[in-house]
Amino acid sequence: MRLDIGRRRALQALAAGACLLAVRPASAASAELDPVLREVFGGREIREGRVTLELPRLAESGNVVPVTVSVDSPMTPQDHVKSIHLFAGKNPQPRVLDTQLGPHNGVARVSSRIRIAQSQQILAVAVMSDDSAWSAAVDVVVTITGCGD
Amino acid sequence: MTTTFKESRRDFLVKSAAVTGGLVLGIRMPGLAQAAGDATEVTHWVVIQPDDTVVIRIARSELGQGSFTGLSQLVAEELECDWNKVRPEYADVNEHVRRDRIWKDMLTGGSRSIRDSQEYLRKAGASAREMLVAAAAQQWGVPASQCTVSKSVITHSASGRSTTFGKVASAASMLDMPENPKLKDKKDWKLIGTSPARFDVPDKSTGKQVYAADVRLPGTVYASIVQCPVFGGKLVSYDEAKVRSMRGVKRVVAGEDWVAVVADNWWRANQAVKALPVQWDEAGNGDVSSDSIMQFLRTGIDAKDVPVARKDGDVDRAFAGAAKVIEAEYHSGYLNHATMEPQCATALFKDDRLDVWVGTQNGEATITAASETVGVPLENVYVHKTHAGGGFGRRGPHQEYTRQAVTIAKEMPGTPVCLQWSREEDIRHGRYRPVTLVKLRGALDKDGNWIGWHARQADQSIIVTVRPAMIENGIDPINTRSFRDNPYKVANFTNEYAMRNPHVPPGFWRAVAHTNNPFYRECFIDELAHAAGKDPYQFRRPLLQGTKDLAVLDAVAKAVNWNSRPARGVHRGIAVVDSYGSYTAAAVELSVEGGSVIDVKRVIVAIDCGNVAHADAVNGQIESGVIWGLSAIMHEDITIKDGRVEQSNFHDYPVLRLAETPTIESIVMPSGDFWGGVGEPPIGAVIPAIGNAIFSATGKRIRSMPLKHHGFSYKT
Amino acid sequence: MSRIGKPRVRVPESAKRGEVFEIRTMVEHPMESGFRYNNIGQLVPRHIVETFTCTYNGREIFRARLHPAVSTNPYFLFHTVATESGELVFTWSDDQGGVATISARIEVS
Repeated sequence: MRLDIGRRRALQALAAGACLLAVRPASAASAELDPVLREVFGGREIREGRVTLELPRLAESGNVVPVTVSVDSPMTPQDHVKSIHLFAGKNPQPRVLDTQLGPHNGVARVSSRIRIAQSQQILAVAVMSDDSAWSAAVDVVVTITGCGD
Repeated sequence: MTTTFKESRRDFLVKSAAVTGGLVLGIRMPGLAQAAGDATEVTHWVVIQPDDTVVIRIARSELGQGSFTGLSQLVAEELECDWNKVRPEYADVNEHVRRDRIWKDMLTGGSRSIRDSQEYLRKAGASAREMLVAAAAQQWGVPASQCTVSKSVITHSASGRSTTFGKVASAASMLDMPENPKLKDKKDWKLIGTSPARFDVPDKSTGKQVYAADVRLPGTVYASIVQCPVFGGKLVSYDEAKVRSMRGVKRVVAGEDWVAVVADNWWRANQAVKALPVQWDEAGNGDVSSDSIMQFLRTGIDAKDVPVARKDGDVDRAFAGAAKVIEAEYHSGYLNHATMEPQCATALFKDDRLDVWVGTQNGEATITAASETVGVPLENVYVHKTHAGGGFGRRGPHQEYTRQAVTIAKEMPGTPVCLQWSREEDIRHGRYRPVTLVKLRGALDKDGNWIGWHARQADQSIIVTVRPAMIENGIDPINTRSFRDNPYKVANFTNEYAMRNPHVPPGFWRAVAHTNNPFYRECFIDELAHAAGKDPYQFRRPLLQGTKDLAVLDAVAKAVNWNSRPARGVHRGIAVVDSYGSYTAAAVELSVEGGSVIDVKRVIVAIDCGNVAHADAVNGQIESGVIWGLSAIMHEDITIKDGRVEQSNFHDYPVLRLAETPTIESIVMPSGDFWGGVGEPPIGAVIPAIGNAIFSATGKRIRSMPLKHHGFSYKT
Repeated sequence: MSRIGKPRVRVPESAKRGEVFEIRTMVEHPMESGFRYNNIGQLVPRHIVETFTCTYNGREIFRARLHPAVSTNPYFLFHTVATESGELVFTWSDDQGGVATISARIEVS
């Protein structure tokens, strides 16, 4: 049986389908993170873009979730990433990881494995050598925590 | 078994949107639309075929509770389609993940399927309808507002033209989906609140229903499993040589705490796994028993400082000034879900693609568990949902059978593996309704008014094992329900919670804390009433003024004729409980012959669930809820010895039988301004109503379950 | 008492000058978050690796500050530009004074 999902919807679906690893433009960070972000980044504006946050959209227990943050940067002494940070606003402690980098890294990409306590948005922020801050966010669903109660 | 990776992405999406694995296999999967020709996805919720068949996508799971039908009604009401041409179909889980979780929540639990989805499903129907009408109006060059819709027919009466959904579906699918369509007034509902024939019943009645264990792919092999009998233990070694030459045996596969034998049929696999010599490391839990667990709970009751879940007024003062103080301890033990279908999953791992067939309560939990276990990305995992042979909370967060099946399948690439737990494994490796022990104290003034009470719980937390973030100050918000959130207007009340977690794995047993906490509370309230010399129904009434609990309590009291004398030998009990957003009460009539043989004659349950989707499904949930509650208080009991469960099958873990089932009357009284759950609420009040009726009949106050431990047996 | 255990790293044996190469690291550590409960509802005290550094011939090339949400046996993958032959030294330190360290050689031509 052939199913036509409509050309417009197919294109929308394709765009969504390509996003399994949720390489998405960041949506605004959830408000609960504001105090932490102010603490870490001062009054800097945190813009969406340049950062790619790779996380599975679903995690079963959320205990060991692989994450990779990459930043679009030439990593030269004049133009590089100084630091990459991860936040989980609904974790009991919203700060996850702070890493420091420099041109010596060659590429701005860090991978780790993190704990996500419940379904929420994860935020990655990168600070550049010119002191600008860029971000990406991904929604992760932790399926075991959906006890349905 | 075909795979579709070589095709273009769009073709892939098209195919996966159309079918689950069922059509490919030539077997009929639940609710699969079987029409020929081109079908069009008008929206992700609504697919229309040229012959006007309407396929409605269902995200949740049919567990026998009727959600396949009820959820369809919500969409169809606004869609204005011909109900006779509606076919529900499970939304494809793989596609759901690829399309950014477009079908929202897939979890079937917490009595949430209808109440959580009703608004967006009605909007889904309304959006699709608006698109179909707009397409017709565009074709005719007339304003959409001049068109009417009924039973899949769109009419423009001014020009005498009409068309059907099937003819305009393709054009409609090109239009933008309205995000916030206007919904009907409740008074205009034609479908919601009625009782159309259920989609799942015919196949279940004729044996055609395909459950996970019925999935047959060419070359399927069968696995039977043994898991470490002591919870928390590990596999040390096993002697494969002893079973390798047994008839039909193909492989032995092991996990951290289990071993499975794979054979050409399940009987042979099971014979072999039972004969397999296995060594386990019991991890120090080999001494645990039901008695030692009770002692452990008691440390919570006896502890000096226990976290406070709720504190109103001053209970110490209330007790000090009371005319009468009564005290009682209640407890209950482990229970198994005992789903009719033991845990089962079929898995196929081939060319980096994983397919799983399982009766899961949460498609997302299954796809995630399978993906993480095998290391195959989510986009390469396909979950084919089968209707579950009972869920009751066993098949949602707990996916160990999925993880085991895919682990075995990965060892045998290209071969479908059907892992079927034996009933023994199912009884012994449940996720149990946890143990609890409660100490209750109550105070009455000189006029017999209830002026204060104190509930201290020693209780095994379930939520700490899946979502510890919900625990605050050591208090479990779910297991304190019925105490912490009780509706009684008593000025002085303290609820304390001492978490005590034995090694037995806990799980969400249908109605969770509302299977035991209401038993303790409502029976203790009867104890207070009797100590005050008052009628238990009248004792409660003034303290429930202004609550919805009062209306359902009054309804059952009236239905059972509480204020009049029952027939000779017949005794009554009453209780009221709110849970999962709904308000319920139960009244019971029973007799006790010879002081020990119980004959439950009649159970009346009233429910105010706000609104109703499928009317008869609510009756069904009440009936099944009564049976669930009766089974718990009459028969069910899991005991622990040497760190393991003693029971193994229905001979030593009996459940309620048909011959023991009383007349059940349901009073469905939805008061309208909210949507409450229906799956679990009916259970809460039934168990204490029985306990209260037994006291009336015998003078014996039952403070634990099941009744057979108190010398009672059941008349059949 | 620190429960820090053995570290493990994966570094290529050799690289060409100017090439960017991948480094994988892991250390055994429970990363007890401080948000878990014991069987009587009490919080298990926090015990985590707090800092991780990597030096390349004495020059720091990577530093991480870990919080409780980093999983058990903390794992990092990062990169560096091959400049000269020498030694990469990896050091983890936790909140109980526990320290683990390991080094790896790289030949750069």
